[in-house]
Amino acid sequence: MWAYVIRKLVYNIPVYLGIILLTMAALRVRDPVAGYLGKNATQSQIDRLTEDMGLDDPFIVQYGRFLWQIVRFDFSEESWAQPGRSVRSILIDSIPPSMSITLPQVAASAMIAMVIALISAYFRGRLVDRVLVFLAVLGMSISYLVYIVFGQFFGAFLPQHLDLKVQPFAIQGYLPWLTEPRNWLTYCLLPVMIGVIVALGFDTRFYRAVMVEESSRDYIVTATAKGASKPKIMFVHMLKNAMIPIITRIMATLPFLITGSILLEVYFNIPGMGRQLITALVANDFPVIQAFVSVLALLFILSIILTDVLYALVDPRVRLS
Amino acid sequence: MIGRFLGSRGWRRFRRGRLAMASLAVIGVYFVAAVAVTLGAVSREDTKMRVGPNRLPGFLERINAEKRYDFNKWYVGELSGVFGRAQRAGDEAAAREMLGAFALAERRMSGAAPSELFPVYETMEKAWGELDDALAMREDLADERFVLRAEAAEQRASGADASATEARLREVEERLSEIRPRVEELYREVERAIEVLLPMPEGLRGLVYRLRIGLGTDSKGASISSQAVYSVKIAFQVGFVTALLAVLIGTILGASAAFFGGWVDHVVLWVVSTLSSIPYLVLMAVFVYVFQAPSLAKWFDNPDRPGLGLVPLYAAFGLTFWIGTCRVIRGEVMKIKELEYVQAATALGFGRFSILLRHIIPNTAHIMFINFSLLFIGAIKSEVILTFLGLGVKGQPSWGIMISHGADGVTNFFFWEVGAATVFMFVLVLAFNIVSDALQDAFDPKHV
Repeated sequence: MWAYVIRKLVYNIPVYLGIILLTMAALRVRDPVAGYLGKNATQSQIDRLTEDMGLDDPFIVQYGRFLWQIVRFDFSEESWAQPGRSVRSILIDSIPPSMSITLPQVAASAMIAMVIALISAYFRGRLVDRVLVFLAVLGMSISYLVYIVFGQFFGAFLPQHLDLKVQPFAIQGYLPWLTEPRNWLTYCLLPVMIGVIVALGFDTRFYRAVMVEESSRDYIVTATAKGASKPKIMFVHMLKNAMIPIITRIMATLPFLITGSILLEVYFNIPGMGRQLITALVANDFPVIQAFVSVLALLFILSIILTDVLYALVDPRVRLS
Repeated sequence: MIGRFLGSRGWRRFRRGRLAMASLAVIGVYFVAAVAVTLGAVSREDTKMRVGPNRLPGFLERINAEKRYDFNKWYVGELSGVFGRAQRAGDEAAAREMLGAFALAERRMSGAAPSELFPVYETMEKAWGELDDALAMREDLADERFVLRAEAAEQRASGADASATEARLREVEERLSEIRPRVEELYREVERAIEVLLPMPEGLRGLVYRLRIGLGTDSKGASISSQAVYSVKIAFQVGFVTALLAVLIGTILGASAAFFGGWVDHVVLWVVSTLSSIPYLVLMAVFVYVFQAPSLAKWFDNPDRPGLGLVPLYAAFGLTFWIGTCRVIRGEVMKIKELEYVQAATALGFGRFSILLRHIIPNTAHIMFINFSLLFIGAIKSEVILTFLGLGVKGQPSWGIMISHGADGVTNFFFWEVGAATVFMFVLVLAFNIVSDALQDAFDPKHV
């Protein structure tokens, strides 16, 4: 097992080096200093900022230095667009808000989609199944942004406008959960729900496909032959085996949710990683962009490795190949 | 290759699906619309031109009292501006010219002589002034009634004499019931005058104007329907170019990686796993950021060359989307290259490139079509997201622009802008979703 983990880690090192190379090269294609300071900057301003960031060194030196920064997690340079804050503090402050909408979203969407997929697979080929599949396709055809716009309107704006007694959701904003857990809940609930609804379409179809494929396996035939009831086959025999691809899928969506929540974070004004990255892109905040892309990619790779390892744990065949 | 694809068994199976063929027809209609827009049916000026008051609702919604006041106020304001200038011009011909210059698309100022129009304009102004007074009075009376009612109820409850208050209340009620028909009458008068000054165009021009305001107007008074139709072209441009680019890159790299193996395979796999280890939205955003560099702005952000404005988007999507196609094609070619006909071709002495191009790649056609269709959807949806984030389409209408602009309107209960873009986009994406599902079922029945 450990050999497998180490093999995975070693395999991903060149991939990560490539990402850093690509990111750094891409961000240097357009001159970051000139882009940030604009047309009216004097030459001395440009020179000073270039020197501060070490952008005048040869690329290979910058590459090595940045790698060393990542290894020590030392992003102590100052952000350009948010003076007085180091990149590191921006990064650390933005992780909890992102996680508080990402994690509940993954858990809830996986559970609900699994239930719907089970129902759909149980009634396979009949009206219920066909309606559910069609609804999933319908849901997939609507833009994420439209869900957000109308979700905010009907979930938060309309109750406030009509002055209803129950106003469970805030229109936008965020408060840390440690100090104000109740407000945190009202802020996070609506984005999480919207995210879950958006994810349902694709997830349901995927899980249903997995279950339908599983239901044509030999062991199901055996179970039917020995006289097991259909619910028992579905929930005991099949669900266990279907869990393997489902867990993979859930793990595989984790990193995507970091980005999937960019839109939610921007729209609901939640100071998470996605929003910080977009703000930095719009404001040409070069140090923040570079650090965020590298850290996001690192998280992404780590979660992929974790997926592979979990997969290998539940399915021993993978390890040996 | 396309000919062989259309003769295949999978295609015949696909054609039997009624829903899929209907969806294909829908896509065809959109395509025709896109071509028509490209040929000039809806120009970019059409989408910017003012055709009515701001946030005019579309054809189904009834205009409530508050909006009726706002819209009439807007017409009166615009008309008094024009007529004021025309009156100061003094000369009849100059006044005529000034009046003639005012137009809301096809809806132009009446052709009658200015001397005939001035009296109509003045009655409108007068009626509007009276209407304002009447509305103010109605509001005062309504306030007073509210206070009196509360007072009377209080007096009755405490057993005091409420007759004086009640008498006053009756008087107020009476005056209110008098003022209501008066307000309605004044509204009619103003609207009649507007109709005389700015008559609804007749015939074909009338139809065009009704189509323009059919889905309402946005926050600058521009036609929503023109923008929605123009966006079809943008969607097809983005979808077609990026999907084609991505499928081509993906197929060529995937097929050569699988077919040649060795270092080609290693390099391609390394690039694929590197790019796919950056979340795709981040990757796209960074690519767009790079291609929108100030040094490239003279090409891509140039009003003289509007066609190139989308190049950053094409490049970002194309460079991001090919990864998935590349993986699938690589897997398929791995399978195909072991098949007997490839061995036969090798034995017959064909070159490696000709085997790859003539015998292997054509047999991945169905994967290419399915991926093309999926990537088309992906591009349209991503355009909306990136545009909202401020990194997508700029300076021309697109569904993304409409949704992000219209989002402000939603909180003011104005759904037409978001709604129109959503419906237009939904139908196209749904059609593509159904087609790609049907293609998948027809060509790869084992895949569930």
